[in-house]
Amino acid sequence: MKKFLFAVVAFSIAFSISSCKKDTAETGPGAIDIEFDNIAVVDGIQRQLSLVTPGSASYTYQNGMGQDFNINLLRYYISNIKLEGPNGELFEDHVHVDVSGTEGIYLVDESDLSTGVINLEDVPAGQYNKITFTVGVDEDGVQEGAAGGVLDPATCHMFWNWNSGYIAMKFEGQSPVSNGGTSGGETVDGTSPNGIVYHVGGWRDMPGTAFVKNNKTLTFGFDTNARVEKGLQPRVHMVFDVLSLFKGQNMIDFTGNHNVHKPVDGQPVAENIPAAFAFDHVHQ
Amino acid sequence: MFNREGPFAAPPQFKVMRTVFLAAAIGLLLAACQRAEIEAGKEVYSLNKPDYFPDIAYPMATNPITKAGFELGKKLFNDPRLSLDNSIACSNCHVKAVAFTDPQHNPSVGIFEQSGSRNAPMIANMAFQSEFLWNGGVSHLDFVPVFAIENEKEMGETLADVIRKLNRTDDYPPLFKKAFPKIDTITSPYMLKALSQYMLLLVSDNSKYDQSVRGELQLTAEEAAGLDIFNRKCANCHSGALFTNHDFLNNGLDSVFEDEGRALISETDDDLGKFKVPGLRNVTLTAPYMHDGRFKTLQQVLNHYRSGVKDAPTLAPELKKNGQLGIPLTDDEVEKLILFLETLTDYDFVSNPVF
Repeated sequence: MKKFLFAVVAFSIAFSISSCKKDTAETGPGAIDIEFDNIAVVDGIQRQLSLVTPGSASYTYQNGMGQDFNINLLRYYISNIKLEGPNGELFEDHVHVDVSGTEGIYLVDESDLSTGVINLEDVPAGQYNKITFTVGVDEDGVQEGAAGGVLDPATCHMFWNWNSGYIAMKFEGQSPVSNGGTSGGETVDGTSPNGIVYHVGGWRDMPGTAFVKNNKTLTFGFDTNARVEKGLQPRVHMVFDVLSLFKGQNMIDFTGNHNVHKPVDGQPVAENIPAAFAFDHVHQ
Repeated sequence: MFNREGPFAAPPQFKVMRTVFLAAAIGLLLAACQRAEIEAGKEVYSLNKPDYFPDIAYPMATNPITKAGFELGKKLFNDPRLSLDNSIACSNCHVKAVAFTDPQHNPSVGIFEQSGSRNAPMIANMAFQSEFLWNGGVSHLDFVPVFAIENEKEMGETLADVIRKLNRTDDYPPLFKKAFPKIDTITSPYMLKALSQYMLLLVSDNSKYDQSVRGELQLTAEEAAGLDIFNRKCANCHSGALFTNHDFLNNGLDSVFEDEGRALISETDDDLGKFKVPGLRNVTLTAPYMHDGRFKTLQQVLNHYRSGVKDAPTLAPELKKNGQLGIPLTDDEVEKLILFLETLTDYDFVSNPVF
């Protein structure tokens, strides 16, 4: 019996070693998920974000100035995803925009959590420990003209018709200190007494003018490698702390600049975006 | 190069690919009925750029023009269902007979009898431009209709509702299917591409001036004198084959700006009161003039330039040389300039039945 067990164990080890070798030798590209998890960091603790019904007077969050607020809507574009590894691994997600659809640009919408998970296929096997992505849609995506999928201007609710281009990040909610009178909101209108509307966009930087590009390209390292190979599907968990939109580099005051639609007006919020994102962990 | 004889002379910008009926097509050409040949030929239209025009700015590869797409765009352009109360089509304010401008209203009137704040600009030679609207807010031709459809004072409709309406009609789904065989449901990018196909082919290049450039005729001595004055006094800004340098300039209409113009987009005071320099093709047809349509005649326009220019920090330097406001012009020069400007009228363009 013992001999038999030994034989089985030995055989298994031998088999697993040989199959490992075989795998490494033959391993093809795999998949990896990038998850964007929208959270609120309160007292240093990550909390699940909760959306309210538009007009709600129930306030869960505070900005950096101690002003209460809540959130009806949070939506942003992620594009140009790039993964890199310690051994020269490189994966650049293909961006293709045309009338029939859009690839490589993703719209993360807090009201539909499935949109927060971006599945990347055909990623070369290897170790990855660095991600770069853009929040917003850059010039190439705009200048392709009318596009389908997540860029369809009729359905994305992220298109500016008067200054053509896509809003990078859209936030709407209420704050008791806001005196309302907002415009152009999706969940808040001019009659909402306490609306706060931040439509942050702008894809053009023109030297010598006030044209502002508010899209942000961000890079994060991972504390552990994500191993990609055929049959594996690791998940990189990124977090976005909504509260950080309104503090950090710039304090955002809901009594003043609370109805934002122009690139320049959105610049203070846009400058807070980089610090609001963070790498959290890798699920192998 | 082009057959221009006969009442149905073909628009030069259509170069219809033909693979079959070549002999028949030649026969048709001789019969001076190239329009019929467009019907009979292969279903591909292409944009034919005159060699003295600027480069095509539109990314043509993203939107191959077909007869079905062009005709769908034309139908959409003329359809009031694109507006909130089904009352205003693009063609309400962009009337073909006057080079797709609005001769009636100043400024144009949208849904619920609302007046906009700006003068409907000409739709012609759009393929060669990359910034649209008086303030340049729209940077791609596909997106121009979105502005007009969604503007509260123009068509006042959401793009999403327009698409819902089109999907519910009997006529549009098969036309979209014909133009874009891959699709089963109408979506906004396809509608916008069809509108662009129509607008891209609206090329105006057969004015008397064009014919003189091509050596087909000579301008009269007075027209030529007008051209000479134009080149010396106007062509800094109204330059090139489209008679615009595509810049945004303050041409001295006001000192205080009710409409901030380009500054609404660029968000800098340096652009206060600046508007897109309009091209001057068909200018005799496109009254009223200026971004707000304040002038009814070319005489008034030229009077403005010689004696009405108002100073402002953003005034175009061409209008304040040596501390002197305006452009010095004698009555005789004004008369000759107007004679020259009349040579920019393209009657083939405004009477082309294909458009």
